[in-house]
Amino acid sequence: MKSTRTAWLFMMPTLVILVFIGLVPFIYVLYIGFFDWNLFSKIRGMSWAGLNNYRKLVFDSDFNASLGRGALFTVLTVSIEMVLGILLANLLMMKIKGIKFFRAIHSLPLTVAPIAIGAAWRLMTLPGLGPVPYYLQKIGFDFNIGRYAQQAFFTTVIMDIWHWTPFITLAFLAGLSSLPKSPFESAMVDGANRWQIQLHITLPLLKPVILTVLFLRIMDALRIVDEVWMLTGGGPGTATRYIGIHIWRVVFPKTDYGYGSAMSVIVLYFTIVLTWLLITSVSQSRKEVAK
Amino acid sequence: MKKLLLWIVVLMLTVSVVATFSLVGCKAVPEAVEAEKPVVEEAPAEEEEVAGSWWAQAAAPYKDVTIKGISESTPPSKYMQEVLAKSFMEETGINVEFEVTSWDEMYDKEIKDMEVGTGIYDFVYIEQDIIFSYLHNEYLLDMTNFMNENPELVFDDLDMDDFTSFINDFKDDEGHVYGLPFEAFLKICLYRKDLFENKEIQDAFKGEYGWDLRPAVTFDEYGQIAKFFTEWGKDNDMELWGTTVQAASHPSSFYEIFETILPPAGVYNWGINMENWKATSADGGAMDSDKAKEALAFWVSMLDYAPPEATSSTWDEVAASFAAGRAAQGWVYGENAAWIATNAEKSVVVGNVGVARPPLMEGVLEEAEAGEGYIGYYDGGALGIPHCSKNPEAAMLFIQWVCRKDFQGEFAKAGSRIVRTSTFDDPIVLAMDKEVDGYYSMFKNEGYLYKGAPPFPFHATIREVIYTYTIQAITGEMTASEALDAAAKATNEELVKLGYGK
Amino acid sequence: MTGKGKRVFIYLIWILLSVCTLFPIYWLFLVSARSRIELFDSPTFFQTTFYIKNFTRPLLNDIYGSYIFNSVIIATGNTILVMVCAIFATYALSRYRFKGANNIFFWTITNRMAPAAAFMFPIFLLYSRVLVIGDISFFDTHIGMILVYCLFNLPFSIWLLKGIVDGIPISIDEAARIDGASTLGIVWRIVVPLSAPGIAISSVLSWIFAWNEYLFAAALTSSDARTITTGLAEFVTIVGTNWGEMAAVALVSVLPALLFLGFVQKYIIAGITFGAVRE
Repeated sequence: MKSTRTAWLFMMPTLVILVFIGLVPFIYVLYIGFFDWNLFSKIRGMSWAGLNNYRKLVFDSDFNASLGRGALFTVLTVSIEMVLGILLANLLMMKIKGIKFFRAIHSLPLTVAPIAIGAAWRLMTLPGLGPVPYYLQKIGFDFNIGRYAQQAFFTTVIMDIWHWTPFITLAFLAGLSSLPKSPFESAMVDGANRWQIQLHITLPLLKPVILTVLFLRIMDALRIVDEVWMLTGGGPGTATRYIGIHIWRVVFPKTDYGYGSAMSVIVLYFTIVLTWLLITSVSQSRKEVAK
Repeated sequence: MKKLLLWIVVLMLTVSVVATFSLVGCKAVPEAVEAEKPVVEEAPAEEEEVAGSWWAQAAAPYKDVTIKGISESTPPSKYMQEVLAKSFMEETGINVEFEVTSWDEMYDKEIKDMEVGTGIYDFVYIEQDIIFSYLHNEYLLDMTNFMNENPELVFDDLDMDDFTSFINDFKDDEGHVYGLPFEAFLKICLYRKDLFENKEIQDAFKGEYGWDLRPAVTFDEYGQIAKFFTEWGKDNDMELWGTTVQAASHPSSFYEIFETILPPAGVYNWGINMENWKATSADGGAMDSDKAKEALAFWVSMLDYAPPEATSSTWDEVAASFAAGRAAQGWVYGENAAWIATNAEKSVVVGNVGVARPPLMEGVLEEAEAGEGYIGYYDGGALGIPHCSKNPEAAMLFIQWVCRKDFQGEFAKAGSRIVRTSTFDDPIVLAMDKEVDGYYSMFKNEGYLYKGAPPFPFHATIREVIYTYTIQAITGEMTASEALDAAAKATNEELVKLGYGK
Repeated sequence: MTGKGKRVFIYLIWILLSVCTLFPIYWLFLVSARSRIELFDSPTFFQTTFYIKNFTRPLLNDIYGSYIFNSVIIATGNTILVMVCAIFATYALSRYRFKGANNIFFWTITNRMAPAAAFMFPIFLLYSRVLVIGDISFFDTHIGMILVYCLFNLPFSIWLLKGIVDGIPISIDEAARIDGASTLGIVWRIVVPLSAPGIAISSVLSWIFAWNEYLFAAALTSSDARTITTGLAEFVTIVGTNWGEMAAVALVSVLPALLFLGFVQKYIIAGITFGAVRE
């Protein structure tokens, strides 16, 4: 009885835009990955390279290094954020006056443009200008993220924690507040203490939320560019050159379009796999929780 | 209520659609040529009656046209934006929107515009090193042909022969010109005269190293001086270090290494053999030669004697560091020499700046004098017109305006750049020469010892490949030796991929 | 720990956390208020003077003012486009059965998750070479950017709204239909008003996202449609010494987000997680 024609008509604008902006570019990038194409090569234009780009990528130490760095960065940031986030969510659950105010402040970093975050942190850590190097100098610690790779790396980690912990916190808050009361009530009746409740009831019930948040954070951390670019430019050396920055540099200043496209495709592949994992595990855990 | 909501939404939709399409392709805000108080005087008004009327006449058909250009935010470009563009607008009625931005952005925007053919810019900054790429990709308008076809647009006193040999970099094989130079300078060494001529310092130095303090001639001497001053600064509680180093993890560090440090080691053209397009010494290149490694290692070691901001310094910051009195010597671009030596608003070392040749390894000076090599970087840029420009005529007029002989003196004063041989004898320049410790004389007499970047159409790509490794040498992730080995190998591979060599 | 002591302890922690959260923004403010000379003195935490030139020069005399204007146009335009498309799409998805809706959902999430670097380049080529009519291309246009941001904003607006629209009983639709309303009428007169809060939320979130975005804006614009976030990046190597102006511009770009903060913080989680997590 329902006219499916109207339905398709309604979907049309959305589908057209998404195909145009999402599908077509994807096919295009897939296509270009099979060619050698650099703006400034001897013979202008594209030349067929088959699977060469992909073959090279497997052994490309720069590419693999940037993947590795990105992975390390992700592991560190996400694990710390998860722990902090859960702790803070518990703290925010307290019904004390002014909690709404603190919550609002706490969620501020989520709304600030990543590039502005990078700018702010850069200004804080600039030698000669920022308070961080200045006061660390006073206690004898030489802080210079332009020079020391480790320091730069950890600064990006801390910056990301500052940026995204609120996300975990708020997600947990949302999750916690939508939990059914009955399991808790029965547990209290059974005489369980706080920690037991947390471990055996809260966390399992929150599994969908945890998984969702975990996967989202992992995927977002893997593709970070703006803040890091502004803070360190990928340096010092290649210390903070994560995969997003690496691809950008290959495509734009190096104008190596073919190779850059192949890289993009590989990274997209990982993204698809991770997304699939996310969706299946979340819906799986939802079913478990429902039981 | 719901109707109201509907109308509001429709209204906003209409407004934004209209706004969007009316803004596509045009500028929403009046042009951005408002300037801070210019530090130099206005361009001279002599011969205004005769020259002025030619310009106004030639520009008459293009009055009220707006031309748009882009350049790097350096002193000469800022002078063009703040002074010359304004006087041009007054004289001709052609609007000039001169965008001055960072080096990375400028290239990105320029190349995109010309590759895509969007015609956003009517004149672009062509640095001496990228002209080869632009010529290869046919991005630019052939000015020689253009001027032949439009004689009414050619200023009779343009005097192409008066340009220094620098203009040859902007010509193709047939001698057609694709850009008119507006800036050229050498990367030399600056040093603090006040410190070098200080008796106490001189005695201390002699005592420690056994020779009289003077600007360094070899790498070893440079290193000793750097070490000395860094210690001196520490002992006397001064914010003083021995040298600047352009060591940001940014392409700028590449340029200091390959155009200013390696040539003095006898490694030319980035160590790439231009016959077989190889960079490894096993195949006839020199990028990973012992001399190159020695020079790079030396340069990296200078970081110990440089102020902390060195690893965040690109060209501008190096100049700023020196101007803030934080370094006793430094490799600094000549375009900064003038303001560092004379502008009290921006520099605390006014009157104390000395100019010297960069330190060299043995035998390199002789090679350069014989024309077989070079000792450093002859940098500069020209203004060219993209092929896709919509207003080439008006752009051509503006570019010639900037090249006017009578403007060159003041221009040189503002940006310490010289592109015309006649400018060397301009009274303003001669007067300035003393204040800049003879930089202009050095430029005139020794300019031939320096060279611009090698004629590589693949300049940007290979630079990206190489600098990925050299920045790792800066942080110590790789030694200088490892970095150059890796860079040479990667360069070989990339060149083959680009179609050069086998 | 006593009840009261516990409270104090918690307040202390929250105050400490708030300071940590606010400090970078506060520092931005401090730097923007200082002139060049002041900046090279030792960094202090209080400021009595305010160097307004850091704001006025880039915003009024230079190109950054037009960048802000572009950001506003693009963000607003995108939000409106997304809302209109999303409302219709959500209604269709909610009321009709579509084969493969789940697959489409998966695909749209992938788009949102993909590294921008992967899409930047093909879209750049598309805009600059493929979709060209004579002189006009999508490159460096407002409409081009408005379309690109749909890649992220459309999917999540749809999924955000879907939950809400699903909650509107079909019986209302049918009642309206009996009264003679067309489908279009149902959408405008019933669905939109009833899901107004959801529309408001996704509008705000879309707007903020479009405003904050950097990579695509950097890749796909040059000067006409450049946004303020890209403008900020241009400061980085411009003249290393002009930190004051950079901070000023950064602060201005942060302002809209701050304004919407109270509003946003409740719903931002639902937005980011595609409605998987909501209060």
